[in-house]
Amino acid sequence: MKLSLAALLALGVSVSALHAQELTVLTAGDQNMVDYINDYLGPKFEAANPGVTVRAVGTGPGDAGSQKILERFEAQDKAGTAVWDADVAVVHEKFAGPMVANGWLAAYRDQIATGKLVTRANADMALGADVKGRVMPMFNSQIALAYNPALVATPPASFDEIKTWAAANPKMFGYNGIKGGASGVGFVMGWVYAYGGNAEQLANGPFEAGQTANWTAAFDALKAFNANATLTPGNAGTLDALARGDIAIGPVWVDMFYSWKANGQLPEEFKLSLPAPGLPGQPMHYVIPEKAPQAELARKFVELATSPEVQAEGIVARFNWYPGIDAQHVQANLDPAVWDKLFLEITPEDIATKGRPFPIAPYNSAILEAYEAHMAQ
Amino acid sequence: MAMSHKSLSRSALPGQIAGLALVAPALLMIALFFILPLAGSVAASFRGAEGWGLGNFAKSWALYRRDILFTLFVVLVSVGLVALLSVAIGGYLTLGRNLRAAALLKWLYRWPLFVPFIVVGQVLRGFLAKGGLMNGALVHSGLIEPAAAMSWYDWRGLVFAFVWKQVPFVTLLLAGAMASVDRHTLEAAQNMGAGRLRILLQILVPQVAPTLWTGLILSFVTIMSVLSVPLMINAQNPTMITANISHRIIAYGDYGVANALGTISLLMTALFAWVYLRLNLRDKA
Repeated sequence: MKLSLAALLALGVSVSALHAQELTVLTAGDQNMVDYINDYLGPKFEAANPGVTVRAVGTGPGDAGSQKILERFEAQDKAGTAVWDADVAVVHEKFAGPMVANGWLAAYRDQIATGKLVTRANADMALGADVKGRVMPMFNSQIALAYNPALVATPPASFDEIKTWAAANPKMFGYNGIKGGASGVGFVMGWVYAYGGNAEQLANGPFEAGQTANWTAAFDALKAFNANATLTPGNAGTLDALARGDIAIGPVWVDMFYSWKANGQLPEEFKLSLPAPGLPGQPMHYVIPEKAPQAELARKFVELATSPEVQAEGIVARFNWYPGIDAQHVQANLDPAVWDKLFLEITPEDIATKGRPFPIAPYNSAILEAYEAHMAQ
Repeated sequence: MAMSHKSLSRSALPGQIAGLALVAPALLMIALFFILPLAGSVAASFRGAEGWGLGNFAKSWALYRRDILFTLFVVLVSVGLVALLSVAIGGYLTLGRNLRAAALLKWLYRWPLFVPFIVVGQVLRGFLAKGGLMNGALVHSGLIEPAAAMSWYDWRGLVFAFVWKQVPFVTLLLAGAMASVDRHTLEAAQNMGAGRLRILLQILVPQVAPTLWTGLILSFVTIMSVLSVPLMINAQNPTMITANISHRIIAYGDYGVANALGTISLLMTALFAWVYLRLNLRDKA
């Protein structure tokens, strides 16, 4: 027993030394992110690069997963490690800025062929931080209202209509607050965009601490709204409650909505809508540490991951995300039926006009804290 | 016998050193891996952006005082119910006359011990929802109207989960202690005409009270430290301190307030243990 344990440990130590051609990819996010790399992207890359093994390490769902990657980079930076332990990392938008500011990320976008296929603003600025050239969006995700058409004939088209609907149908609107995942956080941000004023400044900066004083009325209204709403446990909790009929409408991530439908966890007739003035969405970014052990291979990996074919087949068709690179490059590689399915209820025009970024990081934190302070009263 | 006091004390010193040397590795481990991180976390709770001070505690109180009181409420209600139910189950196992029922109960009550908290949370998420299994059964059996069905994703769900998980643990300790109580005292009471409830409350429970208290304190500390259940059932406002600690770190990267909340929960468990020790010492005095 002892011997086999020692042997196992020795094996674990030696494995990293043996495979010089091992590409380590850290990824934040739900299990589907790890699956995406292990089951789809990794094998594809290994086939194209014989002798290379892709090792995906999931760091956990939500911002917590990206926070772990950030802390791992920070630790290696502080320790003065010459060669870090990750070649590629996939992080949430919010964490790209601090990583660039600390000088941890390589400027690689101009060195890969797919770099010029991205022109969307959120690939240059991440929540107010300049990340241009150092990130490639893996995909874009969007929060929207999912509803049960049997209970909601016409979905609310604006936040005012959401309020009216919730008052007329107590406890049938559900969202997951701010401590259980980003779909709830996104709804709160949408609320502040609608009622807090200065939405443009919240999204683009500059940050002024005095702004918080303007949100009092918005949060008073949200507190009153919460009394009419159902608070669900987590992103999946909202979808669960919809599926069970506990609620009739609520904000969800679009990709989760379609995945649940595809798995049969949500009825086929459920629909999506995007209310004015909009709800936030966010990309997840591929980043390469400045001190990645195999920078060349890492660039090749991201190049493959952001190629129109992979974006079409992997990101859109298999995982129901919106593409990371510009849509027109992807559309050509896709069956029109698949394309139409993703853009059926929420059109590209809806996304252009009502798909918003999250507020810049300091406003994001200030809004969350203001929410907590109001609910604590 | 022939050994004088002098020679005893002379040989005791090297013995003491040898003893110390023997426990030193263990002490070092405790100091290094337990006391040091804990002290570090407590110290860090006094450190904010502007240096040392009580800023983190002020913020914790401003934003999370309802959560702190909520946590105390949930934990006390849970521990109270755990006490009640474990005394009832332990009592039946010791005093029950229907041997088959007692054997069945003995076999059944331990099962939740082997279920991790995260699984409890996951199971109860489906069970306690508005349209979940519990309400489904209640409506189906005609006990409540469909319109009266409510979600238990609040303090009730938390208490349900904690009691479900901790009753077997305390019962296990308690049933062992009750079984070792001298049966003659119980039989004597019975011969004097005492009912079983009276025997349980006036004879059995006082004799196993120290065990009961130990079980309840351990349960208190365990419940205070569970993160998975509040995250699965009730990560809202108010929620339990653990969920807020996680939220401070994940949403804000704010270890200061997270550490302050940790220190506050440490004080809460310490207070509970102190009350117990006071009661215990007073009884012995």
